[in-house]
Amino acid sequence: MIFVDFAVRNLRRNWFRSLLAIIGIIIGVLSISSMGILGNGIVLSVSESFTAVGDSIVVSPHAGMGFSGPSAAVTNDRLSEQQIIELSRAVSPNKVIPIYTGADRVTYGNQKGVASIYGMDPADMPTLVTVKDGIYLRGNSGAMIGSTIADQLKVKVGSKVILGDGTVLPIVAILKERGLGFDINPDNALIVSRQWFSEHYNVKGYNQAIVKVTDLNEVVPVKQAIEKRFNQKDKIVDVYDTRSILDSILGVFNQISTFTTVIGGISLLVAGISILNIMMMSVTERIREIGIMRSLGTRKSEVRWMFIYEALILGFIGSLIGGVLSFGGGYVVSLFMLQTTKYLFYPSSLISIVYGMGFGVGISVLSGLYPAWKASNLNPIDALRYE
Amino acid sequence: MNAIQPPDERSDQPVLLFDQVTKIYPLPAGDVVALDHISLKVYPGEFIAIMGPSGSGKTTLLNMMGCLDVPTSGDLLINGSNVQDLSDDQLTWLRRDTIGFIFQHFNLIPLLSVKENVEFPLILKCQTEECGLKPYEVLRAAGLDDVQLYTHKPSELSGGQQQRVAIARALVNDPDILLCDEPTGNLDSKTGKGIMDLLTTMNQNGKTIIMVTHDATVAEYAHRMIQIVDGRIA
Repeated sequence: MIFVDFAVRNLRRNWFRSLLAIIGIIIGVLSISSMGILGNGIVLSVSESFTAVGDSIVVSPHAGMGFSGPSAAVTNDRLSEQQIIELSRAVSPNKVIPIYTGADRVTYGNQKGVASIYGMDPADMPTLVTVKDGIYLRGNSGAMIGSTIADQLKVKVGSKVILGDGTVLPIVAILKERGLGFDINPDNALIVSRQWFSEHYNVKGYNQAIVKVTDLNEVVPVKQAIEKRFNQKDKIVDVYDTRSILDSILGVFNQISTFTTVIGGISLLVAGISILNIMMMSVTERIREIGIMRSLGTRKSEVRWMFIYEALILGFIGSLIGGVLSFGGGYVVSLFMLQTTKYLFYPSSLISIVYGMGFGVGISVLSGLYPAWKASNLNPIDALRYE
Repeated sequence: MNAIQPPDERSDQPVLLFDQVTKIYPLPAGDVVALDHISLKVYPGEFIAIMGPSGSGKTTLLNMMGCLDVPTSGDLLINGSNVQDLSDDQLTWLRRDTIGFIFQHFNLIPLLSVKENVEFPLILKCQTEECGLKPYEVLRAAGLDDVQLYTHKPSELSGGQQQRVAIARALVNDPDILLCDEPTGNLDSKTGKGIMDLLTTMNQNGKTIIMVTHDATVAEYAHRMIQIVDGRIA
């Protein structure tokens, strides 16, 4: 342990230089951890915005089969009743929920807005949405309303909203917020029965069907079965499983997160170079001392470790302080960029601090390796003669 | 003084044996022959002075004896071990356990106190920082009785005191050989005499002492004198 003691004493002897090196590491760890926390916060925020519907496969008419502009009250590409039956056979025993999709103007009192309209079998509604206030729709009259549009229009259970063509629709339930989804987005929608939708908008055929897979391991085989049934010759339907869509989106954000962390890592690299510089100065200043130690019976490896300990101590202190300050840095960056700090104490955020500290110590030790090697390989005679 | 027999009449094993040792330093301007076929035996308990003009190879000879350098050719045996057969670590251990260095410029470690400087070789040997009373014993043996000085840094001591600390440090591992490079070169004559008296006492206690010096008065303390000229024993 005498060489640890030597390292500590030498760092104290050049305390100002040591302090500057530690500040460099603190800044490096702070930036790498804060960027990691920010990146992780972005990923968590995005993944929370999307409903985790890993058990769903969305089947829709192939995109090239027709076009529906945003102004259309209902879309034109449809899955026929026959296709729904075929789909049910292909995915049996998994459940198929056929859905009409459209959009319409909605007015309540002085409040006006535009909402998506989903038509589905009332029996399927509890599978896709959850009622916050009121009761699930039964029969054909009435609608359930998503929480966002309900707040926007100041609609309550029992209110009657007016659609673009003047049709009055009583609200039987306000839905629990669900977030963005790859199947449906009910937060800004009215959910009506499929019979009412078909009659009101005078359409036949569904815009999409959602297959609810009971066993998550079955997602890929079920998807393959649908492809086999419909897309053998021509591509009739597009098939997406929601987990893979979410995974690819999260993959992009993870890359962004990695990129921001790498940017933070550059400052740590600079700190490492400053440690290398300081250690080289330290070796040069202590050449004679190293010569004395070698002449007294200090092994090369012991000299090497003495300098590595110095780098390790600088890295450890800098990383520890940097790690503690990273909570503050992560808090400020998250608050400023994401307007929330709720992701700060998630394990995946905290691990960024651990990584930052680990890199801090690692870079410091790496920076100390060359000076340590140089010091240990000094010729003792030349070192003793050094003035 | 001990009655030392001439080297060629002794039957015991030499602690140092040079057999046709040559040391060549390759330099861009041409090779420099620092030692040229040196043969020499040093027996336990001898006190030898090595003298010669600057650049004659005295310090190179001393460095070889201290395992700080190895011969280009020839054999050098220390306590029976040929240094050319030893690894760097083995040379370091041999230096640590068998040899004590005393330098002209004292070469104390400025980071350490007096006591810590003396303890240092002991810690290297024992791999523990529990050194017991040995550092105090050698400090007293080296003529430093003032315990208050033990916590001082070397820069707070006089030249004579620093050299006594260096001698205590050289003695702490109880080495067979003490190598002294101009031990009084940085001291006034009175202090120098005190140091030489101390080395004489050490020699009388059984230590083999080999000393490089320019000073003929200092060399008189030795039993045997070796003159080096142009890398050869004259």
